[in-house]
Amino acid sequence: MNTESLEMARLRDLLQAAVELELSTIPPYLCALYSLWPESNDTARLIIRSVVVEEMLHMVLAANVLNAIGGEPRVTGREHVPRYPHELPDGVVLDLLPFCPEAIEGFLKVENPQYSHRALGADHPLLAGRRPDVHLAHATTITQRPATIGAFYAEIIEGLEKAAATTGEQALFRGDPARQITRDYYYAGGGIPRPVTDLASARAALTEIIDQGEGDQASMYDSDGDLGHYFRFKQLKYGRSYLPLDDAGTPSGPEIDVDWTAAYPMIANPRGDDYGDPELRAASDAANRTWSGLLRQLEAAFNGFPEALLMAVPAMFSLRDLALVLLANPLPCGDGRHAGPAFEWAQDR
Amino acid sequence: MTAEHMTAEHMTAEHMTAEHNGDRTYDVVVVGAGVAGALIAKRLTHAGFQVLVLEAGPSTAWTFDGYTEHLDEFYTAASKGPESAWPPAGNAPQPDTADVRSGGGYFVQRGPNKYGSSYTRLLGGSTLHWLGVCLRMLPEDFELRSRYGVGRDWPLGYDELEPYYREAEWEIGVSADVAEQEHLGIRFSGGYDYPMRRVPPSYSDQVLGAAVDGMEVTLGGEPFALKVRNYPAGRNSIPRGDYQPVGAVDERGDGQALAADLGQRCAGNTACTPICPIQAKYNAQKTLAQADRGNLRVIDKAVVSKILVDPVSGVVTGVEYQRYQDPGSPRHTRHTARARGYVLAAHAVENAKLMLASGLGGANAALGAGLMDHPALYAWGLSPSSVGAFRGPLSTAGIDDLRGGSFRGAHAAFRFDIGNDGWRATTGAPDTTVAAAVTGQGLFGASLRGHLEATLPRQVRFSVAVEQLWSSANRVTIDPRYIDPLGNPRPVINYHIDDYTLAGMAAATDVYKQMFSRAGIEDATDSGNSGWFPSAGYNGRVFHYHGMGHFAGTHAMGISAADSVIDADQRSWAHPNLFLVGSGSFPTMGTSNPTLTLAALSLRTAEKMIKELGR
Repeated sequence: MNTESLEMARLRDLLQAAVELELSTIPPYLCALYSLWPESNDTARLIIRSVVVEEMLHMVLAANVLNAIGGEPRVTGREHVPRYPHELPDGVVLDLLPFCPEAIEGFLKVENPQYSHRALGADHPLLAGRRPDVHLAHATTITQRPATIGAFYAEIIEGLEKAAATTGEQALFRGDPARQITRDYYYAGGGIPRPVTDLASARAALTEIIDQGEGDQASMYDSDGDLGHYFRFKQLKYGRSYLPLDDAGTPSGPEIDVDWTAAYPMIANPRGDDYGDPELRAASDAANRTWSGLLRQLEAAFNGFPEALLMAVPAMFSLRDLALVLLANPLPCGDGRHAGPAFEWAQDR
Repeated sequence: MTAEHMTAEHMTAEHMTAEHNGDRTYDVVVVGAGVAGALIAKRLTHAGFQVLVLEAGPSTAWTFDGYTEHLDEFYTAASKGPESAWPPAGNAPQPDTADVRSGGGYFVQRGPNKYGSSYTRLLGGSTLHWLGVCLRMLPEDFELRSRYGVGRDWPLGYDELEPYYREAEWEIGVSADVAEQEHLGIRFSGGYDYPMRRVPPSYSDQVLGAAVDGMEVTLGGEPFALKVRNYPAGRNSIPRGDYQPVGAVDERGDGQALAADLGQRCAGNTACTPICPIQAKYNAQKTLAQADRGNLRVIDKAVVSKILVDPVSGVVTGVEYQRYQDPGSPRHTRHTARARGYVLAAHAVENAKLMLASGLGGANAALGAGLMDHPALYAWGLSPSSVGAFRGPLSTAGIDDLRGGSFRGAHAAFRFDIGNDGWRATTGAPDTTVAAAVTGQGLFGASLRGHLEATLPRQVRFSVAVEQLWSSANRVTIDPRYIDPLGNPRPVINYHIDDYTLAGMAAATDVYKQMFSRAGIEDATDSGNSGWFPSAGYNGRVFHYHGMGHFAGTHAMGISAADSVIDADQRSWAHPNLFLVGSGSFPTMGTSNPTLTLAALSLRTAEKMIKELGR
């Protein structure tokens, strides 16, 4: 094996890890989003939704870059589907939590590595007994050192530049353009995915991920003029919106109606095995099957059948409806906690 | 465009400023912020004209939060009728389809038949709860009198309107494929296609298409082959070229407009009527949001009560309006707005009512006359296998091969819409299906579930829209005995469904029965609780009909002042700076839903006004 193919293998591995990394951020946001009581917390709902759809865009952009260099993005199977608690390269642990101040603290940390928060210890009442082991993200296992998400992507961009310089840009970006996800089938999700065909478009795609996500904390607004994720969540933390003249500190605008009690108190990091009650177990299995079916559709879309995203839309509705069934149900043990979606890979269809 | 021009609160502030400045003169005053008024305001403001839009209703759906409240209103409503998301403002009352049942309400119905349709007085107008069907009219619809000896001719033809149809399809954002729509004489200019691909056909469209496509029926001695076709829809789908689908209106500034990417595609929420939860379906607020905001003033809760006219020249010199703050209290202040040109875009009924209330009925009795609708029949039955009912947009396709033909000399043309919502509209399914199974058949538990699973997905429903001709017997008038809380007249409606339309209903009934029989659908029409629909008798047959909300004809255009209200540009014959726009201008309506045609006419009128007003 020559050095070129080693480099290429590393690049593909990093990009595959990027796809999984973006995927792994989606279930925590969905748990917070779906746990909101109907007709409550309208602003919180809008804010969490606006962030989670951008994470979906990031996953698509990462898959486009991987496809552009001839890779095959994978989001199915036990080795690619995130498990929770889930540790990111910068040491942040993603838990599945309902809408609560602790969840928002976690989101703030995910969106801004400089944000200092008291990380939830395993002994925190929310987590007591709910964090038996932490699963390492693929990105965490393949980065040599603890790295911010920004540094992780910087390594990818650097790798692409190096490979383009040694093997030639055309040889590097040899993927079939028909495998790119474009606005034909991806929409209403935080922006328009541009096809990646060369170094410039690859850099633009990865920069957009960094920009929208961790971002440049010097500016509160992204290039579209939208408030950055971190600042959107700060509005929820403080129950106030930012005014145009506010600096990056505490928002001083009108109050936002945030009702922490108007959410189902979901058990942290739910698992199908937690549900002894047969009806809950069946509902959880159904949610896991739907989640897994959705991931199969996404994988098909990333591997030459972009039109599979059409059918992923009803699958997302089904997933939401099944999650709501779980979330609306208290656990039989009587501690007041509710069931929730486990987002586990289900092998059987 | 700045953020502060964009909120309902701002509209109020702006209004106060205008009032305190005294009589500010605009280039054009537009009465009504529905689709016609919004399109004209958008075009005129972009041409540099100062435009004032006066809207009788509130602007509660303008902000994203406000729209969400209307959505909650719909979710909590016990009855999910077309108005359930849009409760009336007392000072700008509106008809409600439930009035047809109760006999009360805004309209004073003089009969002999009930007029079954409703509209909404709110910023955005009835497009807030339309279905989104964007069919063009047929070339022959414009020449009904010369071709078939019935109805009236338009003073302009299809070819003259065709470029404006294209513009309207892009303004509204219509999803369809030209290849599927090019029939019945409908022509598209070379190379044109709709801005978005057609909305995917529903499963029931496919099942019915497999059964019905190619089937032949005979009307007036002429054979017709039937085919299920998607209809052009004002709902977002996959864009063509560089067209950008327009999602929800969310105008919060400062990076807070996080909902603007909602609704960039239809997600099949099955609530098109009364409210699209994600605004994937067009509503006129989208057009208003695209106006040149520096040149636009919108005042809501401003009911125009009188048009002021110079008695010698007939020139309009101003409009009086009543401004209220609280929709529940008749307290109001009076104001006058002045401009060079005036556009009445208040609705077919409201335009006529306002003219009559201003003493501008004219000598030829044409104003208010000719009120039309598409009196529609439902046909419903049980398919032998599942059609996947209760999924997708309320309706995505229809059978429209019988919209044109020489039979129109003898009876009305008609069109079938295929519902994707089972028997919801006709019997109140699925709730009533459940109730009947429990109380009627005594089912429960697994057998109840089994029965519902075996029944509900097989429910088929057609809507049959039947053409109606312009008739001076059908009219909107006013009567000083009937007034609303602000003292404005309520519409008094005389309405009759004549034999031409009834014979069309009879023919349509025969055709749907043939289709049902061919598709093996067990006919359930009119068996059960459809009792509240008004009925009309013909040759021993009784038809239960409902309105389609397609008001038209009340200020019809024509070639002379002798027998019409406006000319082909929608300009009043009697008042040279006054334009009456909307479906009230139609001398015939054929079988197409009126919105696309009235939008095309509005864009044509805007072009004429821009030329005339100079700049």
